[in-house]
Amino acid sequence: MRLFFINRYIKQKRLKSLLLCISLCLNAQAVDATEVIVSANAVGQLKNSHKLQAIFSLRTLYWPNGEKIKVFVLPDNNAVHKKFVKEKLGMFPHQLRRTWNRMTYTGTGQPPITVDSIEEMLDKIQHTNNAIGYIDRRVEGESIQYFNAP
Amino acid sequence: MNRFITLMPRNILYFVCLLSGSVCAQEINAESVIGAPTQEGNKLWEGVKKTWRDDIQFHGFLSQGLFSSSGNNIYGQSKDSVSADSTEIGLNVSYQAFNNLSFAVQGLYRRAGANTGDAGEVTLDFGFVDLNLLNLSDGRIGVRGGRIKNPWGLYNETRDVAFTHPTILLPLAYFERSRTLFLALDGGQLYADYNTSMGDFSFKFNYGWANADDKELLTAIINDPTASGYLESDPSFVTQLSYEILGGEYVFALSYAELNMRYQAKNIGDPYAQLDADIKSFIISAQYNGEKISFTGEYSLQWNEFTDIRFGVPDNSPVSEHWYVQAGYRLLDNLQATLRYDSTVQDKNDRYGKGVEAATGGMVPGHLMYAQDIVFGLRWDITPAWMIRAEYHRMHGATTISLLENPDFSKIVKNWNIYALQVAFRF
Repeated sequence: MRLFFINRYIKQKRLKSLLLCISLCLNAQAVDATEVIVSANAVGQLKNSHKLQAIFSLRTLYWPNGEKIKVFVLPDNNAVHKKFVKEKLGMFPHQLRRTWNRMTYTGTGQPPITVDSIEEMLDKIQHTNNAIGYIDRRVEGESIQYFNAP
Repeated sequence: MNRFITLMPRNILYFVCLLSGSVCAQEINAESVIGAPTQEGNKLWEGVKKTWRDDIQFHGFLSQGLFSSSGNNIYGQSKDSVSADSTEIGLNVSYQAFNNLSFAVQGLYRRAGANTGDAGEVTLDFGFVDLNLLNLSDGRIGVRGGRIKNPWGLYNETRDVAFTHPTILLPLAYFERSRTLFLALDGGQLYADYNTSMGDFSFKFNYGWANADDKELLTAIINDPTASGYLESDPSFVTQLSYEILGGEYVFALSYAELNMRYQAKNIGDPYAQLDADIKSFIISAQYNGEKISFTGEYSLQWNEFTDIRFGVPDNSPVSEHWYVQAGYRLLDNLQATLRYDSTVQDKNDRYGKGVEAATGGMVPGHLMYAQDIVFGLRWDITPAWMIRAEYHRMHGATTISLLENPDFSKIVKNWNIYALQVAFRF
């Protein structure tokens, strides 16, 4: 009888530990989510995440203060770009490219500026006014401003 | 001992969790170190920022095709041979002068078999000023003036940019002979976009004068390659309403065009001097762009009115019909296979050209009045800038061929094949 209780105790503890481990792993995953970053002067102007699709599809062209939004992106085949487009925009890179190409080659719009690395992305966003871009995870730094900053 | 047994697995699990957590943390630190720009880099960047105007952008594209065919020629002497007479090079510059005022211009160099000749042609593809009249968070209204591409169907606006369509040869509805006419209007465009939570609407209305001076088009209307005059445009318009859901996952569009032309004689007594040609056409488009799978379908009817062609030739008003269904599958993110069934008839009331054949005493073969095409293509986007693709067309009918490249009607073949290869670059 005693042995039975011990077994059950062990099983319960195992289960709890397993759940804890899973939740920690999920947290680790969440840390890896892409983050939208903006220039210091654009912080808090737009917080609504559903606006992101309109911004990156170049349907929303101006910040609420009237300044033109400067969009920076990574190349289409970059893993962070693919992840960002899926996670934050609910789209696929080829859909965005279709929209950008049509604007670029009919002269009806200027496509986002492509940067080659996360390092360059951080640099551009920090040194350009009215800019928006994304990086592969949240990093701590005074000069990095997040789109959905509290 | 019992206590030890209970603690053991728990501790091991905690240890694994802590370990995984610390690994993640290390990655973050490494990233933030890499992410911090060096001071030297900063100085360089400041210098670049001063000299570079980010309101001016340059873009371009280039493509070269190789064609081989059986039966009939396409883009040069491709029959039982290989032709490289298909080249497209475009360069554009756009300048955002003010928040509501911008300029854009694109030059195009194009070689397309006999139609452009060996040397090719350089044209102003578009060039206009764009004035944004109203800008709201959910939409905008504006006008453009100059030469503006025509929004007709899914592909007409960017038909010469290889990257923007899935196969080397566009669907038959966009065929070469009416390319020049449909390409752009010199005049103005009114545009309006409206974004809702249910999807995004876009409306464009182009009004102006088309480039109607195309030898192939004239020859197709009068069946006489020796005419000395040319076609000139009267005021025309092209308009499109499009609706996109989920950022372009679903696309629907309705386009309508009225293109009016008349013949300009060069000599007194030209038998075609009174010729008038008007085209009214709509095309309805639907597209699904999924992660892996895509479907596209377009249907078009075109009412042609050719009046006072010449003395003794009755007025002609054929109704042309074009449609296709197309499926695409992404085997990989950068490797796409496409399958299409495509059909076009020059006269809906004479689908197999029997009437034309009888009226000309067999001189114009019936299969010059229709075409059906089964296409299989494979596209590989090597990098975002470079692309290569190959395709096979099984053709039944020959209405889309160039008569300049296939001048002998008696040698035009009904059932034939096209093999094509293309390499393209964009920036």
